Amino acid sequence: MIKKIWLIFLRDLKVNKRDFIAVYIIAFPILFAVGINLLTPSINDTTVNLALIEGENPAQATYLKDFAKVEVFKDVLAVEQRVAKRDNIVGILPKGNDYYILQQGNEAEGVVDFAKALLTFYEQDVQIANTNAEIIELGRTVPPLKKLLVNIAILFTSVLGGMLIALNIVEEKVDRTIRAIHLSPISRKTFLLGKSLMGVLLPIYGTVVLVWITGFRGVNIFQMLVIVLVSTIISLLIGLIEGLNNDDVINATANIKILMLPMAAAIVAIELLADKWQKFFYWIPFYWAYKGNDVVLSQIATWQQIIGYSCIVLLLSSVVYIYLAPKIRKGLE
Amino acid sequence: MIEVSNLYHSYNKDGKFAVKDVSFEVKEGEIFGFLGPSGAGKSTTQNILTGLLQLQQGNVIVAGYDVKAISNKMFNKIGMSFEQSNVYSKMSAKENLDFYRKLFDVKTREPEELLELVGLGDKANVRAGEFSKGMKHRLTFARSMINNPLLWFLDEPTTGLDPAIASEIKDIIKAENKKGVTVFLTTHNMYIADDLCDRVAFIVDAEIKLIDSPKNLKLQYGDKLVEIEYIKDGETLKETLSTIQEDDLKHLQDIIGKYEVQTMHTKEATLEEIFIKVTGRGLA
Ligand SMILES: Nc1ncnc2c1ncn2[C@@H]1O[C@H](COP(=O)(O)OP(=O)(O)OP(=O)(O)O)[C@@H](O)[C@H]1O
Ligand SMILES: [Mg+2]
Repeated sequence: MIKKIWLIFLRDLKVNKRDFIAVYIIAFPILFAVGINLLTPSINDTTVNLALIEGENPAQATYLKDFAKVEVFKDVLAVEQRVAKRDNIVGILPKGNDYYILQQGNEAEGVVDFAKALLTFYEQDVQIANTNAEIIELGRTVPPLKKLLVNIAILFTSVLGGMLIALNIVEEKVDRTIRAIHLSPISRKTFLLGKSLMGVLLPIYGTVVLVWITGFRGVNIFQMLVIVLVSTIISLLIGLIEGLNNDDVINATANIKILMLPMAAAIVAIELLADKWQKFFYWIPFYWAYKGNDVVLSQIATWQQIIGYSCIVLLLSSVVYIYLAPKIRKGLE
Repeated sequence: MIEVSNLYHSYNKDGKFAVKDVSFEVKEGEIFGFLGPSGAGKSTTQNILTGLLQLQQGNVIVAGYDVKAISNKMFNKIGMSFEQSNVYSKMSAKENLDFYRKLFDVKTREPEELLELVGLGDKANVRAGEFSKGMKHRLTFARSMINNPLLWFLDEPTTGLDPAIASEIKDIIKAENKKGVTVFLTTHNMYIADDLCDRVAFIVDAEIKLIDSPKNLKLQYGDKLVEIEYIKDGETLKETLSTIQEDDLKHLQDIIGKYEVQTMHTKEATLEEIFIKVTGRGLA
C-alpha cells in the first residue's frame, strides 16, 4: 500500500513539473524566502557584535565569545572606527577598573541592553550552564518582521499544498482517469492518501527551505515539523474537497484561497489585537499553528507548548474532517 | 465467469429502474454481447459488474468475486476499455501505460508491445493530450489489456474509429479470446456483435428481452423474413415482414390481395432487424 501511495505521488510530481502553476507553487517557498532576505536584515547581522581591544583582557574576551560575536582591534581608535560603521556593533572599552559601552546610536536597543547585561554577567561570573539569559536574549535579537514573514510563509505553503492537491485531482477529473484507477487494485483510501501526500510533503519541504534560506537554522526542526504537519490537515482536506467538486483549476484554487481569510485574521489578532480579543480567534487552527511557529522560530519553545498547540490544531481539524470526510468519499463516486 | 441474478438498480432510489430484474451468465472463454439502444441500461449494468457503481439489489459474481463486498484483488483479473477514452493528457502514451501497469500486483504486458499492437508504436513518446480522438481511444483500449485480464469488459470498443482500425481492433479481440480471455462487450453496433459474439443479450428499457447466439437467432428468424415493395395510392412503399408472426402474416396477405406488388423476396435477417423484431424497438 505504501508503494502504491508513493506511485501516485510520483506521478503527480512528474506531471506537476510540466505545469506552470504547479512549478510556481513548488518554487514559491524559495522565492518567498529570498524575498524575505532582501526585505529584512539577516539574523546574523543582529546577533550581538562586540568590539574589544586586543589582549586587553583575554579572559573577558573568551567569556564574551560564548554569548556574542567578538571582534578585536589594536586600540581604542580602531574600535571607535569599527563601531562607527553602519551595523549593529558596540564596543566594550576599559575605563579605570571598569568598562563602558561605546555605541554609535543606530544600534538596536536590545543589542546595547544585551551588551550591558553581558558585562554584568562577566563581572559576576555567570556561566552559560547556569543561566538561560543567552537563549532568551538571542531570541529577542531575531527581527520581529522577519520572524513574522517566515511564519506567514510557512502557513501559506500549507495552503499551497492544498492547492496542489486540488490541481492534481482536477486533472484526474478532467481526464476522467479516476475511473481507470478505480478499476485497478488500488483502494479508494490508497488513492486519496497518494493524492494527499503532495499536500504534506510540499509544506515540509517548503518549511525546511524557508527556515534554511532565511537563516533560522538554529530552530528545533522537529518541533517545527510537528506544527507544520498538524497544520497541513485543514489545507489537505479543503484541497481534496475542492478538487473533487470542481472541474476547473481556477474555481478550485479560488475557493481554496478563502482559507487565507481566517489565516490573515488569526495573524492580525495575535500581532495587533489586545488580549481581551484573542478568545474570538481561538477557533481558527491557523491561530494556534502561528503561535506554535512563533515560539519555535524564537527558539523558546518547550515540547509541552508544541504538543499543546498541536493538540488544539488537531482537535479543530478533526471537526472539519468529520464534516468533510463523507463528502470526500461521495465525491469519489 | 460472470453470474448475475435479479439485478436491480435505481439511480435516485425512487422506484425508477435503470436496470430491472436482469439475470444472465457469461461462461468462461466466450464473447458475450450486451446489446441495446441508448439509455437501455448497458453501462449501468457494466458499471455494477466492475464495482464503479454500488450494487443495490441482486446477486453478482464476477471472476469468482462477490461484487457485494468487492475485493481489490478482483481488479488484477479484469480489464476495462471505456466508451469515453480516459488517459492522462499531460503524459505520453508510454508514460500512461508505465504508470498504470505498476498499480497491478500481477504480471503485466510491455507498454511498447501494446502500443505496437494498436498502431501507436511510433507515438509512444507523444503526450496523449496531442492525440486525436481515435488515438486516445486506442490507448484506452491498449491499457485495458495491460494486466493480462481473464475477463475483459469492452464498452463500444470500435465506436468512432475509422473502419480499417475498427477491423484491427476486432481482430485483436478475436485473438485475445482465442487465448482464453472472456469478453463482455457492450455495443449498439450489430455488425460487430454479429461478427464477434458467441451469445448476445438484447436489453431494452432496463430489461433483458432475450439471450441467444446470433446463429440461433438467424435460424429462428432469418429465412422467415419477406421484403416487399408495393404501390399504394400511387406511392411505392417498402416493408419487411415476418412470415411467422400472426400480425405480419395477415398484413402480408392484405398487401398481396389489395395492392400491386412490385418486388418481393425473402432475405436473411441482420441482427439489427432481429433486434427490432424481438424488442419492437430500433437501436438508434
Ligand atoms: N448517473 C446517473 N444518474 C441518474 N440516471 C442515470 C445516470 N446514469 C444513467 N442514468 C439513466 O439510467 C438509464 C440507463 O443508462 P445507461 O447509461 O445504463 O444506458 P446505456 O444503455 O449505457 O446507453 P448508451 O448506449 O447511451 O451508453 C438511462 O435512463 C439514464 O438516463
Ligand atoms: Mg453506455
